[in-house]
Amino acid sequence: MKEKGLSYLIVGPFAILLAFPFYVMVITAFKNRAELYDPSVTPYWFGKQSPTWDNASFLFHETQYPRWLANTAIVGLCVVAITLVLAVPAGYALARLAGRVGQSLGVGIFLTYLVPPTLLFIPLFWVINQVHLQNSIWSLVLVYPSFTVPFATWLLMGFFKTIPAELEDAARVDGASRLKTLTRVVFPISVPGVLTVVIFSFSLVVNEFVYAFTFISPSEHKMVSTGVYTDLIRGDLPEWGAIMVAALIPSIPLALLYNTFLDRFIAGFTGGAFR
Amino acid sequence: MEALAAARPRGRRLTNVFERPGVLASVLISPAVLFVLLLVGGPLLIAIGLSFTNATSGQLHGKWVGLENFRNEWTNPSFQSAVWHTFLFTVISQAIVLVVAGLLAHALTKNFPGKWLLRFLILLPWAAPIALSLMAWKWMFDTSYSIFNWTLVHFHLSKPLEVPQYLAEPKLAMGSVIAVHAWRIIPFAVVIFLAGLASIPKEVHDAAAIDGATGLRKFWSVSLPLQLPIATVALLFGIVFTATDMAIVYILTQGGPPPSFSTEMVTTWSYKTGIEAGSLGPGAAISLFLLPVLAVVSIAMLLFARKAEVS
Amino acid sequence: MAHSDDPSHREGRYDRRELIRRAGAAGVSIGVAGSGFGQAFYGPLRFKGRWLKGDLSLITWAHFVPAFDVWLDKTWAPGWGEKNDVQVKVDHILNTLLPARAQAEVAASNGHDIFFDLAPRPQFEDNVINHKEIVQEVTRKVGKIGRIAHKASYNPKTKKYFAFSDNYVPDPVVWRHDIWNGIGMSPNTWDSVRRAAPRLKAAGHPLGIGQSAELDSNMALMSFLMCFGAFVQNERHQVTIKSKRTVEALKFMADIYQRGETDDIFGWDPAGNNNFLYSGKGSMIFNAISATRTPEDTRLPFASDLWIWPIPKGPHGRMGYQHVMGSWWIWKFAKNQAAAKKFLADLEINYKDAFLASKFYNFPSFPGAFPFAKIRKAVAQDTHRPRGKYGVLTTIAQKYTTNPGHPGYSNAAFGEMFSKFLVPKMFAQVSQKKMSAQEAVNAADREIKQIYAKWRKLGKI
Repeated sequence: MKEKGLSYLIVGPFAILLAFPFYVMVITAFKNRAELYDPSVTPYWFGKQSPTWDNASFLFHETQYPRWLANTAIVGLCVVAITLVLAVPAGYALARLAGRVGQSLGVGIFLTYLVPPTLLFIPLFWVINQVHLQNSIWSLVLVYPSFTVPFATWLLMGFFKTIPAELEDAARVDGASRLKTLTRVVFPISVPGVLTVVIFSFSLVVNEFVYAFTFISPSEHKMVSTGVYTDLIRGDLPEWGAIMVAALIPSIPLALLYNTFLDRFIAGFTGGAFR
Repeated sequence: MEALAAARPRGRRLTNVFERPGVLASVLISPAVLFVLLLVGGPLLIAIGLSFTNATSGQLHGKWVGLENFRNEWTNPSFQSAVWHTFLFTVISQAIVLVVAGLLAHALTKNFPGKWLLRFLILLPWAAPIALSLMAWKWMFDTSYSIFNWTLVHFHLSKPLEVPQYLAEPKLAMGSVIAVHAWRIIPFAVVIFLAGLASIPKEVHDAAAIDGATGLRKFWSVSLPLQLPIATVALLFGIVFTATDMAIVYILTQGGPPPSFSTEMVTTWSYKTGIEAGSLGPGAAISLFLLPVLAVVSIAMLLFARKAEVS
Repeated sequence: MAHSDDPSHREGRYDRRELIRRAGAAGVSIGVAGSGFGQAFYGPLRFKGRWLKGDLSLITWAHFVPAFDVWLDKTWAPGWGEKNDVQVKVDHILNTLLPARAQAEVAASNGHDIFFDLAPRPQFEDNVINHKEIVQEVTRKVGKIGRIAHKASYNPKTKKYFAFSDNYVPDPVVWRHDIWNGIGMSPNTWDSVRRAAPRLKAAGHPLGIGQSAELDSNMALMSFLMCFGAFVQNERHQVTIKSKRTVEALKFMADIYQRGETDDIFGWDPAGNNNFLYSGKGSMIFNAISATRTPEDTRLPFASDLWIWPIPKGPHGRMGYQHVMGSWWIWKFAKNQAAAKKFLADLEINYKDAFLASKFYNFPSFPGAFPFAKIRKAVAQDTHRPRGKYGVLTTIAQKYTTNPGHPGYSNAAFGEMFSKFLVPKMFAQVSQKKMSAQEAVNAADREIKQIYAKWRKLGKI
């Protein structure tokens, strides 16, 4: 009982703190613009003319928002797939097998992650142009793994290390080949790590915008952030309400999905460890 | 079935090759290495080359000026303070993330009613596209419409014209960007820690229980060491991510209130110089200053992560 | 059939003639480009340049007046395209990211035929064509280029038009008549602004002249300097910031801040002073007319009390910058330069439509394209109260507006000084008492001179 109370005491306040901006987003999203600009209307709740669907309907009728969402989803899924294909084997090898060469390759992968993206987009755009992907979302599918793969590789390396080598040894003593050990024993147990990588990579795709801005200019091929920024921020006049709607729509399902993933780690692998 | 049987001898030979750890390792690592190096290697070399030239606005060539760009920036007070701000921003925000996320992850391993909802709320900041959630922060920090200031004035804690200005006062501005950055990273750090805790196999806990380890002692002697590799990598990436990311600072403060520009980071300064002002050579030089520093920090931490193996 | 995959067809952006032409061209080029059709869904532009002679691509900002973009994208560009047998495609991106995109296009030597930005970008001079031909063509039709546009798009050192300016936006002072009336004053001169400052603040309505790292502050403060006879550079593009007049101006502004403003002016972004005004707190800001249009559209209670005036008069007179200096340029690597030149020339020659579509925001760079007398008449039609409030814009545009870099030309060094917000920094040093006025001027002088030396070495000024 005492432990439960302590958990509430820690988790409760932080949850409120972290989610507070989303409360403000919800209020702003459904507030009439005149009320938003009226300081006598409380920012914690609606006035007489709200809640309203005006902002949401503006977003869906006057912009290509659904298209941007779809683009983002496609890029996100592709990048996640590429990241997993490249990073899971590499991470395992780094944790278990690598000799001297492998280790330095690993450090090499990592060092590329340090390259500041601030100016890198200029030479990268040149590369994109060479492969004729300018103004296409596939340019982002190509480029984004450059920062998701290094992270994912090293993170997975960490996860593989937490798996005691004894488990593998046991399998190998039973006569399984290395490859079989890998696919039957190691990969299933590394699901929490893999799901973390999925969460991480997908969010980075949703978040990135320097490349997304500079590589793609036609409105119908934009990502969520870049589309919203161009069509809803008119210089000194942001469409506050519509922007908040645009922010909430991808956030809530993604957070739900991530939360379900967390259940999966905990239920699937720890058994009774935390009960 | 027959086909499978026929293929077996060859399959076995192939498998045998994979039994040698070195070969298997190379096969597993090289796709990732090749992909990243092919993509980033060339552009990185171009960027390094640019930093030694006086290239302007988008041209990938210029006159060779040697170390001049580096020397100029090294003595430039704007650059010097940008380095200091980057250091503060990175260290403080990561310290906050580590402590809060550690606490939350540990508390979340317990079962209690409503946990699912609370965890959902905690995850929200990481799920939102940062460029868009920053607009919410901008609105909350707005000099005229800030919800915090509305509250202060409403409860007579401050006079309308004397409210704190979150993005206009040098220290507050730095505090604000640190807070927002931590807000954004904490959920992800919680996920990593939870996943780390979750991936500790049941057998280990059982063994600990047999040894009579419980509570804090179990945490110190079993859970923590097992988590070290993951925690180190997570922290390392947090550091790199913070030091090289410019979204939050650029969107919230554009480098900070004049004259102190108290939130000018190496990244924003490089962007202003190289992109907005068109001095590409010096801009590239500025952005490359971080590289060796981060490389040293990273290699040290990676070595540590590798050493911190489960015994 | 590759075409059914092309989303642009479904949206009906090609007319029938275009479709037939595309189909024919596809038949020919399918052997070459066939392998790429799988990706055509996401990149229909990929092959355009290759198999359609008459394609033209533009990239521009998302206009502060959304109606202007509707006009440009849906009326003007397609109409012009039909007449000239050219397929025009207009892209918009966030204005602050235009420089980044421009650099990327230069690096790749590929991108849009025509590029637009809100300020002259002389740093791209080597990468763009000489726009002299367009200037000459428009001059032939409607008369000479305006002084402001000429000085903002021409480099006297290299004798090259590095951009074609179609419009500029006057930057008035927007003030609350009811509040100022309450204390019996008006912002006619800087002196009266200073005298009004403490009384306005005491009434709970401080002034809002930004000293932040953003466009509006930059423009307002540099205009303020000019009213005091202080200039960043002279006609020969030498740095002249270090002067007694600058010192005097800094002290004056610091006084206005300390007695009549609050700290928020240091933390604004471009929307900061708008919100300051909309919240009913602010009594005066510098901004283009988007700051009065929003209150009108959202029916804020004081919308009819928002007056527009020219910049207050200083010891050296009344002189202000434009809010936006519209600059188009054609890359050297542009594939359809002929169409690009004609597009820009025609846009300017018919600027009346553009002016009206922008709701009086964009003033033509060639005064002959839509003469001030006619503008005055058009503006008088606006029904918002106080009636005729926008009439004064014409006077401001005609008499009190000048180019960035005045009395010299706009150049790359001035541009870099502008991008690094050195002027707001100098003002803020003094306002916050971090430095004396003289020290702040000296510090700014050092930094600005370094920038000028760098660009002079590159042979651009």
